[in-house]
Amino acid sequence: MNELHRRRRALARRTIPAATVLLLPALLLPTLALASGGGAGAATRPELLVKTILGLLGVVALAYLGGHPRVNAWEARLGISHVVTAGFPFVLLGLAARHPSVGILTDPVVGQLGTLLGIALGWIGLVAGFRFDARLVGGLPRGTARVVALATAIPFAVVVGLTGLALLSLTGGLGGAAPRGGVLRDALVLGTAGAMTAKTSARLLRSTEPATLLSRIIRIEELAGVAGLAAVAAYFRPEVEGTWQLPGTAWLLLTVGLGATMGLVTYAMLQCTRPGRAELVVLSLGAVSFAAGLAGSLHLSPVVVTFLAGVLLANFPGAYHGPLGAALRRLERPVYLLSLFAIGALWDVADWRGWLLAPVFMATRLLGKRLGANAAARGELPLGLEAREALAVAPLGPLAIAIVVNAQLLYPGRSVSLIASAVVGGAILTELVVQLVAHGKLLTLERRARAAASAPEGDSREATG
Amino acid sequence: MNLVLLVVLGGLMHATRAFGPAAPGDAGTLLAFGYVLVSAFFAGGLFKQLRLPRLTGYIATGVVAGPMVLGLLSREMVGSLDVVSGIAIAMLALTAGNEISFRSMRPLLRSVAGISVVGVLGTTVLLTAAVWLLRPLLPFLRGLGPAQAAAVAFVLGVVMVAQSPAVVVALRDELRSDGPVTRTALGVVVLADLVVIVLFPIASTLAKAAFGASADAAGTARLLAWEIFGSLGAGAVVGAVLALYLRKVVAGAPFFLLLVTIVIAEVGRRLHLDPLLVALAAGIVVRNASGAGDALHREIQPSSLPVSIVFFAVAGANLHLDVLALVWLPAGAFVLVRGAGLLLGSRLGALLAGAPPVVQRYAGFGLLPQAGLALALSMLFASTFPEFGAEASALTLGVVALNELLAPAAYRLVLLRCGEAGRRAPELPDGEAAPPLALVRR
Repeated sequence: MNELHRRRRALARRTIPAATVLLLPALLLPTLALASGGGAGAATRPELLVKTILGLLGVVALAYLGGHPRVNAWEARLGISHVVTAGFPFVLLGLAARHPSVGILTDPVVGQLGTLLGIALGWIGLVAGFRFDARLVGGLPRGTARVVALATAIPFAVVVGLTGLALLSLTGGLGGAAPRGGVLRDALVLGTAGAMTAKTSARLLRSTEPATLLSRIIRIEELAGVAGLAAVAAYFRPEVEGTWQLPGTAWLLLTVGLGATMGLVTYAMLQCTRPGRAELVVLSLGAVSFAAGLAGSLHLSPVVVTFLAGVLLANFPGAYHGPLGAALRRLERPVYLLSLFAIGALWDVADWRGWLLAPVFMATRLLGKRLGANAAARGELPLGLEAREALAVAPLGPLAIAIVVNAQLLYPGRSVSLIASAVVGGAILTELVVQLVAHGKLLTLERRARAAASAPEGDSREATG
Repeated sequence: MNLVLLVVLGGLMHATRAFGPAAPGDAGTLLAFGYVLVSAFFAGGLFKQLRLPRLTGYIATGVVAGPMVLGLLSREMVGSLDVVSGIAIAMLALTAGNEISFRSMRPLLRSVAGISVVGVLGTTVLLTAAVWLLRPLLPFLRGLGPAQAAAVAFVLGVVMVAQSPAVVVALRDELRSDGPVTRTALGVVVLADLVVIVLFPIASTLAKAAFGASADAAGTARLLAWEIFGSLGAGAVVGAVLALYLRKVVAGAPFFLLLVTIVIAEVGRRLHLDPLLVALAAGIVVRNASGAGDALHREIQPSSLPVSIVFFAVAGANLHLDVLALVWLPAGAFVLVRGAGLLLGSRLGALLAGAPPVVQRYAGFGLLPQAGLALALSMLFASTFPEFGAEASALTLGVVALNELLAPAAYRLVLLRCGEAGRRAPELPDGEAAPPLALVRR
């Protein structure tokens, strides 16, 4: 009874703060709806513009608060559901802001969201790359490369195969009607996003050593995600008259070259300036915007270009590491939340195919992750039960969302809106599964392990059997 | 190294523009924003090495990279960055207002008033007379009757006398200057801007009446009252909110300040308030009615530097050098008249007010730079009088262009010469303020 009572109190502790966080956007929206007077008028009406500006700034402020270190510490301490803290309420906020009765995001404003998304993607890419220290791969136990390869390749293949079939049937491609190149591209994007794992998976593990190893595996996985996105952007380019016509491999090399060049240029800028707070803001914001703008102008992926630049910066010597890293990390979460808001605004919820594709994506991803985790566990590196479970039932990370948002920018159109729905919806469903399933399973495994440790030697084999 | 980086950045930009058709809207805006921010930053460093103001480097970046010279930035790209201008003006006005401490300004009040009346108002009259006398050289005035020409001359005089708190604040921050000349110049440009904001609608109304258009004096007065008093009131409220945040919350202050300036710039304008006055009033309230003035100064730096870099670079990119090439002679004449009027008038006004000799000699140079307000009034003039506004606006733009390029260097030289550069308390690493230095009063 005491155990049950304790669990109920823990559940209440998690639910009430989560509800409070959700309450905030819920309170914001009716207020704005009232202010709109029930309808969206001409976009130039001053009151509408004022409301739009205030609404957008309110979202930005919420995103900033959402990324505040105190909020992060509070969520970690109280174990708040990651569905909330992963920022999906911002997707709902974006959806609601787009609704005509609220009228914050009118068509002209939505058209401008691409600039915001560009900076957000560039920032996420740079942060991910800056975390990719060469020491990450040094000192890893034998067999880690195999684990990473299997843990990403198998889910990738499963998601590409099964969601590709689903996309074909949803777009009428099975009968040969729809262009299959687009379906392959979209399936590859889904596969790349599906192979990613959120770093919060490692939090599910109680003991430090497996959690550290899992964190490093997840970090290396990001490299695979970036490589996938680079390949898609290089080999599935939109046809634009009057631009350079190069083979896909040449575009891939150009992407790598551009990322390296931006890394070197940014390194030179940081080295020849004595950056105070203000100068660091100028250089980091300028470098990210410039790199993202260069990539966007060449129809390349800003995430990939800034990721490569970030990798170079992380591995070159310099006094900038501490201050730059702190600045990047501080804004990572708010930028991610804003990109979720933008994806919510661009999400076509009326398209039923997206709703259908979301559980398909979730199921195929979890299946692929399970197969990959089981295959990886049979190798040289001994993966414990908890680590295997954390790999298998893993939520999607920010980079997965960034990948699909980037695809939305590179290939604007209905089919990509479909995969955006699939990934966002699938990510929400996956979070629920993780919370409902993984916690319970891990608790069970822990209990068994404790029982095995406390039981006499002869009985321990039975307890864990 | 600054030069090498500029060449590399320019090369990357050129290569990207050579890729094909104009970059899609969002990518073009990002590209322009990023390029302008980093290249203007390093151009500023280069100009500093040449003993010129950093902000001249920012402006020069815009001129060279803009549509008039190298064309690295297209008109559309520059246009997409105009939103930064409003935010920059609000931010710089907030900084300027925060520097106006009534306690330290009290000894300088007579000087400020004297220079404003004699120097600024006197120069307005002088410029009006100059436009009237030179009207045979100005095609857009030739066909007008004496009363109409006089009215238009008055409007042009008001536009051309406008100064730039933005440049004065930027130079003061760059040189870390402090002293009676710096404070007097800042006080005068702030007060002068208020005077210009009041005079311009009055002058426009008189001009409209001279052309027979129905001049709704009561309506104009109401609008003006709302614009001025409404802005001051709104600014007081904003200032109270800022002070409360800086004292009670503190965390995330640079971000909060950026949001507030965006609200002031975008929302204020649409409510027919003057963002400059709102921000100015907010800064004054924070400095004088709360203890958060130093905190505001410290916390606004991370946000204000990138915004002001882009603002001045965009101002440079928007300079119509082709227009300047056509109107350089009359524009040059008006620049000289304006400069002479402000310098001599300031000297006389300071003398009559009993200001220290250093203020008499040097404060007038702070009134020479022009930027945002003058440009905005030029545009407003062009839209108010479409029959000849474009030509007249070209002239005033030429005057502003010359002052924007040359005046900051002159003011910088003066601040160095009068010994006020470097007298401001230096900031420690991570933006903490060191204890203030004692000032020597002459």
